[in-house]
Amino acid sequence: MIQLKNLDKFIESRFQRVFILKGINLTINEGEFITLMGPSGAGKSTLLNILGLLDEDYEGEYSFGDRSLKSMKERERSGLHKSEFGYIFQAYHLIDELTVYENIETPLLYRNVPSSERKSIIANLMDRFNMVAKKDLFPAQLSGGQQQLVGIARAVAGRPRVLLADEPTGNLHSGQAKEIMEIFQELHREGTTIIQATHARENADFGTRLINMLDGKIERDEAI
Amino acid sequence: MWKNYFKISLRNLRKRKLYTAINLLGLTIALVSFIAISLYIHHEWNYDRMVTDFDRIYKINQEFVSNGESELVGSSPALLPVTLREEFTEVDKATLVFDWSIFSSVMIDAGQGNQEESKFAFVDEYFYDVFDFEMIAGNRETVLSEPNQIVLTESTANRLFGSAINAEGKSLKVDGKDYLVTGVMQDFPSNSHMEFDFLASFKTHPDSRGPQWSPSNYYNYVKMKPGADMSQFKSNMDQMVDKYLGSDMDEYGFHTAFFTQPLTSIHLGDPTLNSIKPGTEIKYLYVFGVVAILLIAIGMINYVNLATAEATERNKEVGLRKIMGAGRMQLFGQFVSESMLLSFAAILLSILLLYLSAIPFENFVGAPLNLELLFSPLGMVGLLGLGLVVGLLAGFYPSMILSQMQPLKALGNKLKIGGGAWVRKSLVVFQFFVSMGLLISTFVVKNQLEFMQEVNLGYEKEQVVALNYHHNMREAIPTLRDEMVRSGAAISISRAADMPHHVKAGYKIFSGGDNTREFMITGYAADPDLIKTINLELLEGQNYSESDPARRSLEDENAQMPILLNESAITEMGWTAKEAIGKRVNIGFTNNALVKGVVKDFYFNSLHQKVGPMVIFNDPDEANILLIKLSAGNPTANLATIGEVWKKLVPDRPFNPKFLDQEYANLYQSEQNVSLIFSLFSGIAVFIALMGLFGLVSYVALRRTREISIRKVLGATQRDVLLVLSMDFVKLLGISAILAIGFGIWFSGSWLEAFANRTVLTIWPFATAILMVMVLAILTIGYRSWKVFRLNPATTLKSE
Repeated sequence: MIQLKNLDKFIESRFQRVFILKGINLTINEGEFITLMGPSGAGKSTLLNILGLLDEDYEGEYSFGDRSLKSMKERERSGLHKSEFGYIFQAYHLIDELTVYENIETPLLYRNVPSSERKSIIANLMDRFNMVAKKDLFPAQLSGGQQQLVGIARAVAGRPRVLLADEPTGNLHSGQAKEIMEIFQELHREGTTIIQATHARENADFGTRLINMLDGKIERDEAI
Repeated sequence: MWKNYFKISLRNLRKRKLYTAINLLGLTIALVSFIAISLYIHHEWNYDRMVTDFDRIYKINQEFVSNGESELVGSSPALLPVTLREEFTEVDKATLVFDWSIFSSVMIDAGQGNQEESKFAFVDEYFYDVFDFEMIAGNRETVLSEPNQIVLTESTANRLFGSAINAEGKSLKVDGKDYLVTGVMQDFPSNSHMEFDFLASFKTHPDSRGPQWSPSNYYNYVKMKPGADMSQFKSNMDQMVDKYLGSDMDEYGFHTAFFTQPLTSIHLGDPTLNSIKPGTEIKYLYVFGVVAILLIAIGMINYVNLATAEATERNKEVGLRKIMGAGRMQLFGQFVSESMLLSFAAILLSILLLYLSAIPFENFVGAPLNLELLFSPLGMVGLLGLGLVVGLLAGFYPSMILSQMQPLKALGNKLKIGGGAWVRKSLVVFQFFVSMGLLISTFVVKNQLEFMQEVNLGYEKEQVVALNYHHNMREAIPTLRDEMVRSGAAISISRAADMPHHVKAGYKIFSGGDNTREFMITGYAADPDLIKTINLELLEGQNYSESDPARRSLEDENAQMPILLNESAITEMGWTAKEAIGKRVNIGFTNNALVKGVVKDFYFNSLHQKVGPMVIFNDPDEANILLIKLSAGNPTANLATIGEVWKKLVPDRPFNPKFLDQEYANLYQSEQNVSLIFSLFSGIAVFIALMGLFGLVSYVALRRTREISIRKVLGATQRDVLLVLSMDFVKLLGISAILAIGFGIWFSGSWLEAFANRTVLTIWPFATAILMVMVLAILTIGYRSWKVFRLNPATTLKSE
């Protein structure tokens, strides 16, 4: 589904190029659950951002399906971004001014989903994540684990084919982390492609493929 | 979608209480001013448009040309409307209005004794054919068709008879003469150029019998037939002038012509053309319009500045929304909806405020504030448009900045809005430029007003009162004078043609006698006591006396008559004061006027004009005014004493003394209004701009709390902190000040141009205005920096 060919990402500094990613070749098939591991600064987050179309400042080739991203128009790219990807962050990044319900609703609004359909999608998600009672609370009133659940619900509300998660359990204790991973596993079983970056080896066990990164390069790529 | 936008906007506004309050308050105050000014301009602009077919109605004015000098007057002769009706096919109707108040007030007796009334006019029976004001009682076809008929306005009828129905058919006395009330009409609207309480039939007045081509004392109006060719009409009137006045013009060596003025341009037209009501100078409407827009701009700038300053705080939200798929337009819509919400809230608040402040405002500006207009279709569309424009203009730039952010950078909080700071600084400069500029203008206007009040006019206006004089009081004058002086309340009494600041009678000096120059001269008819009463300074020679011949008693044009000339007049003739005494000059009505004395120049007109040549001569019968110099001491008591003498000796004449200094001040009513309005608006501008500054400084202080805490730990004093926080702003205000000085110099140059006698431009208006704004700004910043300084560094540094 996704193919990266010879992808570089670098920062021009005054005297030299500093490579953040160098020579990445990666093929991701639909339905995979991939874990990116590696020390800080290895380029995991950068790779995720590029995969998620949040960062377009790179060299090399990125194809989604059978089309190269470079050949797409701005509008097509943002359409792709809207319809195919969901994002989950380490710091949850919920919008503070919005309630749980409204946070989950936001991506649907931007996809122009009709009101009745929105309601049923959100009702299903709240039910699934056991948040019905909390729907009118603001993020600050929730625990970290609960906030991340809202983050996941928000990410999957638009039914993306690819879910990108950057350290989704980094701020959580192990109990909560396990719960999040189980949800990922479930989503994976339902057919969602998941790419997560993490420091925790145990999280990789939930996935199907483990990619180790070091200094902007893929060091090891193995199936689990 | 929109519902969601508004919900979020509302929460955001509520969360940032300080900014919301500043924006809302600033916008509301600006909008109140804007709407009030708009209503005022609307009122002035729609003068006389309530009359049906107003676009076919014209006033006829007259031009006189003699000796190459042209004079325009707003009135014309009584025979004109008759001729127009009879001989001009393009004229539908023509009517005459004889405004009696230009001559004198009248005494009305409706059964409760004499009351003085001034809004009295004679109009002919065609009046309602041209001006279709509504009749409340009586038949408009016949109410003014016979002599001794009178129509009252509704409020006058209520005042005198209790109601309109009651008034019809009653009789009342005008200066002792019986009139029958045949009708009651609606009050003249506040934006009609006519303002009368009584309309009497012109047939009552002797001038109606055998109307002539002279004098030109009447306001005449025509209603043209639809599609009439106005330039053809003008040339037809020129032919009429040749036909009827050709021989007179040849004989007396002058030329005259009639010209039309559209009804709708009477109020805002040439202010020198006399009319029933003083007009408004159109340039002030433009000035007020510009000021209104500037105030709104200042209010909107507060929003723009605070919203862009705040943008960094909203990075995260914007970034997230983008990651979740928000398009630029969708984000733009969200942020604009925030400013729209604010702008409409401000409009609602300002309507409320306008209702609360309507009455003080009306008193202040002296024009009615028609708030009902706001709820007419036009008003609603206007308010809606205003809300949209203000919301969009204020929200456009911040929304653009916010929606442009790169999501990743925004999320990482790595973003500093550099471009925004530049725009923000320029906007602050603009705000304070406008505030200072308005304030400087206010001080310039005030300075000139003060100058006009305090300048040595060449006569004394303090403790002098003026009373209306009528020639039928002639017999009573000697006793009146003696009694008043004997009572100890008055020092001196003089009969004069007019008040000394308002002498307009034009005469001409012909060559003849000892003088060879010809020039126009202003004539002041007064009895010999004038010099003493207003304390004119006699430079040379002597005053004329009671025993000298008065103008009315001259036998023929060779009769000798003593006169006084002012310095300008003798300079014009080429004499020194000493030389002038005993010279003979020709002043038209006599070629044997003997210069008996020379008086120092005094300002006998508004200070808009230079002092010209003047002749003072003895002609008590020409007098309209009695000037009385009060004794020193309590003027109220003195006035009461004089009043008693008056009521004893001339009981049928109204006693309504006017203080000369107040009347003089009234000369500058329009300048005074401008000054008041300018003070108000410059105050508002400064206030809104300071509020914005407060918001910005708060924001900066918040951003720099950590820095300031570190400085404090390192030993910075409160003064150092103030310096750190205020330096940037003081620089901006300095730029504003330079721009404002430039504007102020331009403004005072062009505004003071209208005054032939003006104050010297000093540095003070500039210094005061700029210093005032600077001090207020530094106080504002100081308050904020003091609050930051008081924070305990331990807590602020820990939380970072």
